[in-house]
Amino acid sequence: MAIDYQKNRVVFSEVAGAEEAEGLLEWLSKHPKGKIDLKECSHLHPANLQVLMAVGCAAYVAPGDAGLAAWVATALRPRP
Amino acid sequence: MNPLLEQFLSETRESLQGISEKLLQLESEPESADLMTELFRYVHTLKGNSGLFDFPELTRVLHAGEDLMDAVREGRLPYSLQMADLLLDAMDFVGMLCAEVDKNGSYGACYADDSLRLADVLRKLIGVTDATKAPAAPAARQALSQGKPILALPLAGIPEQVRMRAYRGACGGAPLHFLSYRPAQDCFFQGDDPFFQARQTPGILWGGIAAQKPWPKLAELDAYSAVLDYQLLCEAPLQELQEYYRYVAEQLEITAVSPRSLIMPQGDPNGGPVYEDFVRDGLLLLAAGDLPGLLRAARSMLELSNPELWLASALRWLVLVLELEPDDATALGAILHSLLSLSAPDWQSLKDASPEPSGVTSGAGLESGAPGKKAQFSPEVRGVVAAIIAAQREILSLPVADAWHCGRLRAAAASLQGCLLAGASAGALPGLLEALDAALAGLTAAPLLSWLAESPLNAAGAPLPATELVEHVEHPPAQQPPARDAAASVVAQPAPAEGEAKFGRRAEDAFAAAKSIKVDQVKIDRLMNLIGEMIVAKNALPYLAGRAESVFGVRELSREIKAQYAVINRIAEEMQDSIMQVRMMPVSFVFQRFPRLVRDTSNKLGKEVNLVLEGEDTEADKNIIESLGDPLMHIVRNSLDHGIEAPQVRSAAGKPAAGTLTIRASQESDRVFIEIRDDGKGIDPEVVKRKAYEKGVIDEEQLERITDQEAQNLVFAAGFSTAETVSDLSGRGVGMDVVRTAIERVNGTLHLESTKGKGTCIRISLPLSMAVTNVMIVESQGQLFGVPMDAVVETVRVPRSAIKTIKRSMATVLRGRIVPLKSLNTLLGLADPQKANAEDELAVLVVSVGDESVGILVDDFHETVEIILKPMAGVLSGLAAYSGSALLGDGSVLMVLNMKEVV
Repeated sequence: MAIDYQKNRVVFSEVAGAEEAEGLLEWLSKHPKGKIDLKECSHLHPANLQVLMAVGCAAYVAPGDAGLAAWVATALRPRP
Repeated sequence: MNPLLEQFLSETRESLQGISEKLLQLESEPESADLMTELFRYVHTLKGNSGLFDFPELTRVLHAGEDLMDAVREGRLPYSLQMADLLLDAMDFVGMLCAEVDKNGSYGACYADDSLRLADVLRKLIGVTDATKAPAAPAARQALSQGKPILALPLAGIPEQVRMRAYRGACGGAPLHFLSYRPAQDCFFQGDDPFFQARQTPGILWGGIAAQKPWPKLAELDAYSAVLDYQLLCEAPLQELQEYYRYVAEQLEITAVSPRSLIMPQGDPNGGPVYEDFVRDGLLLLAAGDLPGLLRAARSMLELSNPELWLASALRWLVLVLELEPDDATALGAILHSLLSLSAPDWQSLKDASPEPSGVTSGAGLESGAPGKKAQFSPEVRGVVAAIIAAQREILSLPVADAWHCGRLRAAAASLQGCLLAGASAGALPGLLEALDAALAGLTAAPLLSWLAESPLNAAGAPLPATELVEHVEHPPAQQPPARDAAASVVAQPAPAEGEAKFGRRAEDAFAAAKSIKVDQVKIDRLMNLIGEMIVAKNALPYLAGRAESVFGVRELSREIKAQYAVINRIAEEMQDSIMQVRMMPVSFVFQRFPRLVRDTSNKLGKEVNLVLEGEDTEADKNIIESLGDPLMHIVRNSLDHGIEAPQVRSAAGKPAAGTLTIRASQESDRVFIEIRDDGKGIDPEVVKRKAYEKGVIDEEQLERITDQEAQNLVFAAGFSTAETVSDLSGRGVGMDVVRTAIERVNGTLHLESTKGKGTCIRISLPLSMAVTNVMIVESQGQLFGVPMDAVVETVRVPRSAIKTIKRSMATVLRGRIVPLKSLNTLLGLADPQKANAEDELAVLVVSVGDESVGILVDDFHETVEIILKPMAGVLSGLAAYSGSALLGDGSVLMVLNMKEVV
């Protein structure tokens, strides 16, 4: 499982594929304040990313992968 | 190249031919629905086929063509001449790509743009009626192509360090591009990961993601509709980027970025020390050319500033530009000025600004909005022209020196005239001449200078970088809106008119396309005969060499003839080999009828049979392949009828209910092997023996002696059949006999192995080609005879004393084996006894006949030669002892013995 749903926290690891997006959306709808941990994530399918963006997760643990972190930083900017 | 691709190319060629024919026919009868349907089918097939390969450009154009055709077919669009032209163009493009693939195995990425443009144009024709279907991106591209200004690139979103790194790289000559990638909405369903694709972009410096539109409520969000835009700053050549994104080229916009546009100070605009003094000093230092001084000043200023400040950011840029491009006084001046205004240098309007303090913008144009058409130059020429004009202006501003002032004026005017002509602004010439006249009359440069200030050259000659901050990839500069726009294009693709002309030309000169031709077999046979004669004629040369030496005594000439012979021999052999290749056919030609035959036959017999065909691409001479047809048919029928048992019988015997019949072809050196194997009941030697005895094929004595193996081979004897009744499939007792004769006719051999209860295997061995035979020449009673090398086992000389006579036949012992000996003279009915040589040894040619070896006594051995064996014809065809005749190099006829018949 590339996404581990914990109590109030969702932890990504390695590559999160497109099939995860549905579950992620569902979980985030139920836990709008849930924390996002991308520390161990090496890549996530844009379907997941756009779910995160749509939910407006500005607070998240940045990916350890520097390249991904830079990308994600542009996408998950705090909303003005 | 793989066979699939090869076939695709040849089919494409045919389809393209068909398409152009149909298009031309449509011109005469545009209403014909049949023609249109046929046309659609061609394009549809072509598109489908192209999808098998890695040719997105090809598929894109074909797809657009297909859509257009579909619209016409359904009556949504009228057929028009313009449409035909476009389609022909598109097909020329496809043809061109195919030709390229044919030549190099693939085509370059440089066609992506042409492909996009063609697809765009085709889709545009479908136009309004089909607007929903066309992806959004092409629409955007079209907006661009209509010359609407492009919004400034969102470079401000890129962090300063990244921009600085990019600037550094760009100053070092690296090409900078800004990519804007909007994937199709349904791309997730095609298994695409555009994010991954974007992350892997070559030379990526920075990437950003943004949503295309505000997010809907979570409940309405569709996670699987791609709504993200990707923006990237890349340090890679345009071509590489196009190649990388070739599959989604229509979803991409690539913009060349000029390094200057990256200079964009950012930060907190408040506070900090007063910079006015620094700016004034800086400008003075710059004017004086004291760049190290300026650098020092900027550095110390930077140390005093809070790094978060906007001003500090501007200073950092100033330092960077000083380090990398100290000659760019314009940029330095602009940055210095921006320190005063606290706003980013406006690179776009820099050119329009009123003249800067002297020296700072020395090269920058004094564009005063000259009316009229501006002179047009290509970018590289423009720089040169600017330099020329600046020099003229300088010359004209020099103080008047009487002696040569007139000449100076004339020279300057001539230079300007040249520039005008080169810029295709000849219309301005009269103005220039008038100004020159006025200048000459007044002996002052003023009229010329004022003309220059208003002339079309002024605009054209303005230095490049300030005018073109951002260069867009779409258009050639000639079609650009005036260079004042933030974006101007780079030459990346020819104007449509040029492109069309190009494909058209390609279509005309691409005649030599077809790779295979159909040739009448008679012609190939004739070629075959000719090469046969050639080989015979070639064989005459050694005789000639021999004669030159022995009869005329010229050794030198003899040697030369032999050398020449070696050359001709090599060429003739290669030639013969290639002609053989022409005649080669795959065995699949014969095999292809078996699946049907086996299916029908097994159904009729109520048996279940799996047919396995292997090695279908094994090749052999056409004659051999054709001669295989009937024998194989008989063997397969036999296997089905007698070999494979009914399902119940098989199950009872513990075998799978469905029998397996394997036909396998393979090639070993110069022979082709065909193996027909079934897992049926095999041949019971006892039954065969009894049957053979009953039918009188063998006598009682043989019945006792015969081995099981030999008994099984009796099935090939004439008149033999084990079947109790004659069915419509087999049982007439001719089948296997016919098989053997047919195989032997083409110099093949047949071998049968069978295990009772396990199955039967028949191996057929055939020569690859029957055109040229190797024979050994032997001599007997002064005559020469040929013996096929296939039959010759060895040649030995046996002392007369070693020959024993057993009863009335002779025999000798060779390496511990008894070899029966027969005299060739006796066999052929010649009277003389065989001659022995000086040591009283007899020449023995050991040949294999069937499975046995027989020694043939001859008078002498000669060389082996390659001959074209001509079968005996006419009245001679009854002479079974000879398999044919051949011409020897010296013109004599060689009779080739058929050892099976002779012995």
